[in-house]
Amino acid sequence: MRVERREEKILVIDGLVSGYGKMEILHGISLSVRRGEIVGLIGPNGAGKSTVLKAAAGLLKVTSGTVIFMDEDVTHTPPYQIVEKGMAFNPQGRVIFPDMTVQEHLDMGAWTIKDRLEKEKSLERIYNLFPWLIERKKRKAAQMSGGEQQMLSLARAMMIQPKLLLLDEPSLGLSPKWVKTVFEKIVEIKESGLPCLIVEQKAAMVLGYSDYAYVLEMGNNRFEGRGQNLLQNPDVRRLYLGG
Amino acid sequence: MKDLIGGHKTWLGIAILMAFLISIPFFASDYWMTLLVLILIYTVYASGWNLFSGLTGYTNLGLAWFIGVSGYVSSLLIADHKFFWLFAWPIGALFVGIVSIGVGYILLRIKGVYFAISMVALTEGTRELIGTEYLEPITHGGKGVPFVAGISLSALYWSVLLLALITVIICYKITSSKFGLRLIAIREDEQAAETLGIHTTREKIIAFALSAFLTGLAGAIHFTYQNYIDPSFGFTIHLTLTPIVMTLFGGVGTVFGPAIGATLFTFIHEILWAELTILYMAIFGAILIALILFFPQGLLGWMKEKGILPRIRKI
Repeated sequence: MRVERREEKILVIDGLVSGYGKMEILHGISLSVRRGEIVGLIGPNGAGKSTVLKAAAGLLKVTSGTVIFMDEDVTHTPPYQIVEKGMAFNPQGRVIFPDMTVQEHLDMGAWTIKDRLEKEKSLERIYNLFPWLIERKKRKAAQMSGGEQQMLSLARAMMIQPKLLLLDEPSLGLSPKWVKTVFEKIVEIKESGLPCLIVEQKAAMVLGYSDYAYVLEMGNNRFEGRGQNLLQNPDVRRLYLGG
Repeated sequence: MKDLIGGHKTWLGIAILMAFLISIPFFASDYWMTLLVLILIYTVYASGWNLFSGLTGYTNLGLAWFIGVSGYVSSLLIADHKFFWLFAWPIGALFVGIVSIGVGYILLRIKGVYFAISMVALTEGTRELIGTEYLEPITHGGKGVPFVAGISLSALYWSVLLLALITVIICYKITSSKFGLRLIAIREDEQAAETLGIHTTREKIIAFALSAFLTGLAGAIHFTYQNYIDPSFGFTIHLTLTPIVMTLFGGVGTVFGPAIGATLFTFIHEILWAELTILYMAIFGAILIALILFFPQGLLGWMKEKGILPRIRKI
């Protein structure tokens, strides 16, 4: 299985050390995402899950270790260039711009795409995935529900035609019904050929949807394995899933 | 309500208003011309402030620095180097525009109130620097620079009218452009903007320098009109605060808000000053407090809310 996983790797993080200023949060994290996979990243509060995503997206300084994205070293690349290379990051907590309309959000998302035709194709794909956005084009984001905002945020991240989607707690603050809807959308996105790396508090939930998952603890790798296997692993169950 | 923006009537209205404004020097008294010159200069100040701060959300308390630096450069060129005013103005504005790229590169990494304070410090520091005796051979020190540019009031009026018009058009274009959207994204959530691939520092610097250039042009004209500049006059905090109050008055982040704010503000100020000279500051303050309380989004924001104006960004 190991050998098989090494192929088609789209993101490889190796020995990542990073943090905020002088405070080191990650003490050498390694993980990888393959084409066509949903990879879950779980662990208790303060394990450094979100920090991994921020460091990979170029938002935090990396002290040592490497981030390889599509066979290219992007460890010290600034965030706007990483986005251009096709890594989309959807930050924690429905980061929408309240005063902008749905249409403007999508325009914003696509601004790295210069070609008009490409942009229209992108838009068409988004409207296929999120048909309800069409009638809400002119609506301001502030007037939408939490779940709708999270979906809009997802749609916006998809506008750059990414090769990899990083999602930081997509379920945060959503009703159970919306959590399910959002995760089903993520599976649909994966099946359309876009791999996702998801950080989640709702560990059991994300393991159920993940092809592969990593468990972090205090900035170190703790467990890893297929989502279903981890769900049945007694240690993981005891430590993170509440028995 | 849509006709208000797109219809032929609107364009006809704009054309008539422009014809009227252009023809003013042929019949208006000097008093009215002077008042209009000030309104137009403050329209550019307020729009220039709004262009950067209204869109990016970075409160710039250093507008007087843009005005003072450009005012000094152009005034010195006219006074000591016998430059023609038409050439001195853009040189002053370009100077402050270019210097503010460097300033922005350093200061625009600081967020929130710290950025605001750093701009105040820059303004005060520059004021002191220009006033020192060491620089007296170049800047005339604290004595100030009296000069005569040899420009008629009509020519001055037309120049500043053109500048105000260009400024409002630039603001209109930017607000409805991708660049404007990127700036608004920075205002709403800078980190989210960054994750969308926006080079936030670069966008902020461009907006900052553009704001400096336009404000600087108006500043150069302002001091040519006054025929005088000195450190405390060129860098006074009033030059920062008045345009900000005007923008709040008209509507922050809107295109026409600063112009409307500058016009109403100047008229109210003028009437109060003429009629109630002793009480005018007190009454003026009360009016301002009432406006902030009841129209927190400014007049235009309020009109959009009430549906009197369409809710689109292009106003």
